[in-house]
Amino acid sequence: MTSTEQNHAPSPRRHARRVAPPTTQDALFEVSGPRARRWIHVGTVISVLVILGLLYVIYQQFALSGQLDAQYWSFFGAWTTWTFIGSGLLGTLSVAVTAGILAIVVGLLLMSGRVSSFAPLRWLSTAIIEVARGVPSLLFIYFLFLVLPTWGITISTYWMITIPISFNAAGVLAEVFRSGVNAVPNGQSEAATSLGLSRGQAFRSVILPQAIRYVIPTLVTQLVVVVKDTTFGYVVTYPEMMQNAKVLISNYNSLVPVYVVTAVIYIVINYLLSRLARYISRRTGAKIVVS
Amino acid sequence: MSIGYLVSHYGTQFLSSLLTTWRLTAIGFVFGILLALLLTIVRVSPIKPARMAVEFYVQVFRNIPGLSLLIFIVYGLPALHILLDYEPSVITALIIICSAFGCENLMTGINTVGVGQVEAARSLGLGFTSIVTRIVIPQALRSVVQPMTSLLIAVMLSSSLASQIPVTNLDLTGLVAKINNAEAGGILTFALAAVLYLGTALIIASIGAAIDRKVRIAR
Repeated sequence: MTSTEQNHAPSPRRHARRVAPPTTQDALFEVSGPRARRWIHVGTVISVLVILGLLYVIYQQFALSGQLDAQYWSFFGAWTTWTFIGSGLLGTLSVAVTAGILAIVVGLLLMSGRVSSFAPLRWLSTAIIEVARGVPSLLFIYFLFLVLPTWGITISTYWMITIPISFNAAGVLAEVFRSGVNAVPNGQSEAATSLGLSRGQAFRSVILPQAIRYVIPTLVTQLVVVVKDTTFGYVVTYPEMMQNAKVLISNYNSLVPVYVVTAVIYIVINYLLSRLARYISRRTGAKIVVS
Repeated sequence: MSIGYLVSHYGTQFLSSLLTTWRLTAIGFVFGILLALLLTIVRVSPIKPARMAVEFYVQVFRNIPGLSLLIFIVYGLPALHILLDYEPSVITALIIICSAFGCENLMTGINTVGVGQVEAARSLGLGFTSIVTRIVIPQALRSVVQPMTSLLIAVMLSSSLASQIPVTNLDLTGLVAKINNAEAGGILTFALAAVLYLGTALIIASIGAAIDRKVRIAR
């Protein structure tokens, strides 16, 4: 990072304290000389001013439109508000966990079909994966919501969102699992077959366990997508957090605060999941696949 | 509902909805990527507060559900005296989300260019601007074709959020929901919309793969 540095300017502290190997992003800048440092100082001051200005504008916008008035926020002091949001959150998590588990199971099945040596099964699995990945889950949700009842089939709103969400995620996960399978070195399956395992046995007991280990961080990042999709409970009035937010808004006539609070909760949950994925990735050395 | 009835009654509507979906996707993606480029420039700059602000922006909008953002723009912003029409609201939401993911992709791309390349360029006497514009950015862009293709498909899928607000020009999902609310359109309307979405996704994916094959640097 600074090894090619010729002048003897003191290394900035953020470099000195860094233990991880330097990234290209850090290497772009040499340790700066006095003039560059002055510019950086000026830039820092200007950017701080701009950020403060932006925050002030946002605050003004809230204040002038009366959105900071106590009447819009006071009900957050009531215990019932939080139990209601909490029950929505439970609904969200319940859909997310079920959809996540379903997606892993179905995704594994689809992936196994896609790498199968039986061609028709391979084609069918590929087609299902492409549909799951290329069609918005909202369309599936509307299908279950609007068409199934006309066929005389009634399912709960819970499954109306859980099935489409897990179907979409399963398509993505199938490809993630496949990339994991491809990442397992060829020698592994050669060694397994030379030990007398059949192709299927080798796949199940040698390839798959390693492949899954490679993709665990990516699975966690996909959980973020699942959590985001649970907001479609709003469409079918399943009581997850977004839907409960809608109810709160009509009860207290307080729109902005409720949306801000629920959005922050979603962001925090998903941020923590992303951090968890990166943590696992760092610990295990398994890369996060962008898909 | 037969195919003939569907095409004769709703054919043109399906076509215009497909174009709406394409329009939302294209505008959202193009401006999203432009914004992502700007954000990335700030994110690699040596000015720490600016970098942190961009980091915050990216984390917030990578993690917010698209529906929350859209609903906030459509119903929350007017309460703050900021009024956007319905379609611009959808496009704004798409641009914001696309920019956050695009910025993340670009950062990954920059970091795939080896540190040694930057050091080599510097030891050859190239200045900062030359290093960035002639060494780092060309290689970074080449390595992000695949993730950007996925992002474009994700933007297309997210454009279906338009069905959640009363836009004038219905997107595909909105049109199918409308048809099925008015009469029993049945599975056929959904199948047609699904085929159009899937076709678009496959075209995007194949163009992306072709570009990727052409520009990818084998490492």
